Amino acid sequence: MSRSRYRRTTLLRELALIVAAAVFSVPFYLLLAIALETTEQTYRAPLSFPLPPHWSNFSQAWNTGGQAELPRSLESSLIITVSSVAALIVLGSLCAYAIARRRGRLGDLIYILFVLGIILPVQLAIIPLFVVMLHLGLVGNYAGMILLNVGLLMPLTVFLYTGFIRTLPRDYEEAARVDGAGVLRTYARVVMPLLRPITGTVAVVVGFIVWNQFFEALIFLVGSRYQTLPVALYSFAGDYVARWNLILAGVAIAIAPILAFYLFAQHQLIRGFSAGLKG
Amino acid sequence: MTAAVTFSDVRKVYPDGTRAVTDLDLRIEPAELMVIVGPSGCGKTTTLRMTAGLEEISQGEIRIGDKVVNTLDPRERDVAMVFQNYALYPNMSVFDNLAFPLHARGISKTEIRRRVERTARLLELDGLLKRKPRALSGGQRQRVAMGRAIVREPQVFLMDEPLSNLDTRLRSEMRAEITGLQRELGVTTMYVTHDQLEAMTMGTRIAVLRDGLLQQCGPPQTLYDAPDNLFVATFLGSPAMSLLRCRVERERDAIVCVLGGQRLSVMDNPSMPGLIGYADREVVVGLRSEHLSEADGNAPNGSRLRGRIRLTELLGAEQLVRVELPVAPPAVEAQGRSSGMAEVTARVAPHAHVAAGELIELAVNTAHIHFFDPTTDHAIR
Repeated sequence: MSRSRYRRTTLLRELALIVAAAVFSVPFYLLLAIALETTEQTYRAPLSFPLPPHWSNFSQAWNTGGQAELPRSLESSLIITVSSVAALIVLGSLCAYAIARRRGRLGDLIYILFVLGIILPVQLAIIPLFVVMLHLGLVGNYAGMILLNVGLLMPLTVFLYTGFIRTLPRDYEEAARVDGAGVLRTYARVVMPLLRPITGTVAVVVGFIVWNQFFEALIFLVGSRYQTLPVALYSFAGDYVARWNLILAGVAIAIAPILAFYLFAQHQLIRGFSAGLKG
Repeated sequence: MTAAVTFSDVRKVYPDGTRAVTDLDLRIEPAELMVIVGPSGCGKTTTLRMTAGLEEISQGEIRIGDKVVNTLDPRERDVAMVFQNYALYPNMSVFDNLAFPLHARGISKTEIRRRVERTARLLELDGLLKRKPRALSGGQRQRVAMGRAIVREPQVFLMDEPLSNLDTRLRSEMRAEITGLQRELGVTTMYVTHDQLEAMTMGTRIAVLRDGLLQQCGPPQTLYDAPDNLFVATFLGSPAMSLLRCRVERERDAIVCVLGGQRLSVMDNPSMPGLIGYADREVVVGLRSEHLSEADGNAPNGSRLRGRIRLTELLGAEQLVRVELPVAPPAVEAQGRSSGMAEVTARVAPHAHVAAGELIELAVNTAHIHFFDPTTDHAIR
């Protein structure tokens, strides 16, 4: 090849992507810049990056803040998100495996029910749900919140897993059956490892949703000491009405864990979205 | 430990009404390598999957040894299967792939290690035990798949086109290797393929299937020399048997085939007794290329055919010559051409001077001509 494959169109395409990336980075810039400014700077020159950066905002946001303590709500968020995601992966993949591999109408019917679950908004059922869960003692504690999340996000999880499992050849499972493995061993040793790409996707997608959840967390954890981060930040904003630097420092703390997880799982995520299995 | 596999009146009908296998009666003797062969969609893989327990049986009975296995789960049947695409577990190393069927049967760790290592030595996989399947070549994957079947020491091996993903050279190597291994282990084997060459070279016996119906079952040479019908005749052998339409006439103690203007007189041919009944009727004549050669001066008069060469193919050790005869071809499939003229393939010496477009006179070994009834396709005997 004498000619470079790097043409003018390649350059233009790269420039377009760089511009798009820059546009998407603006909020992050603002978040970081303001979180590092003094209160005075936030009013005088909010858009310029503060030099030297005012790091103490983070410790102040972390340590103070009356009822909206960040450390405790970070812990709540972590417990609820990790437990919900883990439960969704185990139950959702098992359920999808059954649906995808079942021959006949019942599997299709159950699948349609799950898809309907994605479409219908939870707000429609929130009042009766709240009443029922209150009676069952599932309001204001981890168990209730996790159970609620598993229920709410099971349709999406099953949908993602079913689509993926349907593209998997049956041969591996058949080989395992002939090799003498039962259903559970086949699932655990053969099928689940094959689902790794989509499991990454599910973890990230569902994890984001649970982590950012505001409405449900506000209602079902009402008055308890188990506030999650989004709710805590909300009341945080109420406490520090005019101190945007502290509020945004709190926000930065809140998104850090999920951002780290995303960067870590990025590769899996993309593989899962582009689906299919090679090798 | 090895067992016979017996099919009695086995039928498979899919829910949509497709009949994959119809009333199959077949017995595979202990330690035998039975090749099940046929074109795609003939029901051969279904037969194998029914034996493995991956497919339900609609009717009839399959026995492994003395045990009826119709409703048994695959793992209760004590069979091992080699899949066409190997189905090696991609997340496991070669060692774990080989160990998997043993783990599933609750065999102790030391015993597993011993058996896996022995199998690996047998298949020359020793150095590869830590690798993942994706880091193996096609031939190595094939060996691992074989190993996973062998390590179990099952009663029956089931192989579903195990060589179809390999290149020609590797395939011929593995053919010999599998046959050798099977003989050494002495395990009853059902081997499914669409490749007639694999069937001919590997099978103790061959079962030819077509549209779910067993056409003929027997040792390769028997099927080749005495096919029961046109399908078996044209399916086995390469190049395929040439077919012509001819008219049978009686002439003293001989039978004469009239092919257009040419006559072949047939004397000691296994079809003689049956042919008498076909006097003054049309039959289908089958000629294998090795029974057609370039005529020299010695060929007797009633055993020559004249035609025009359409094509020559030099194979090195011999030369195939496709010759058009001024005879109408029979109305059977697998003859491909529709020029209105029949074609036969002859084998001649590699250095014979033959060229497309020339006339050639062929000597026919009339003792080996095959005759078939044009309506039933059955061999005339």
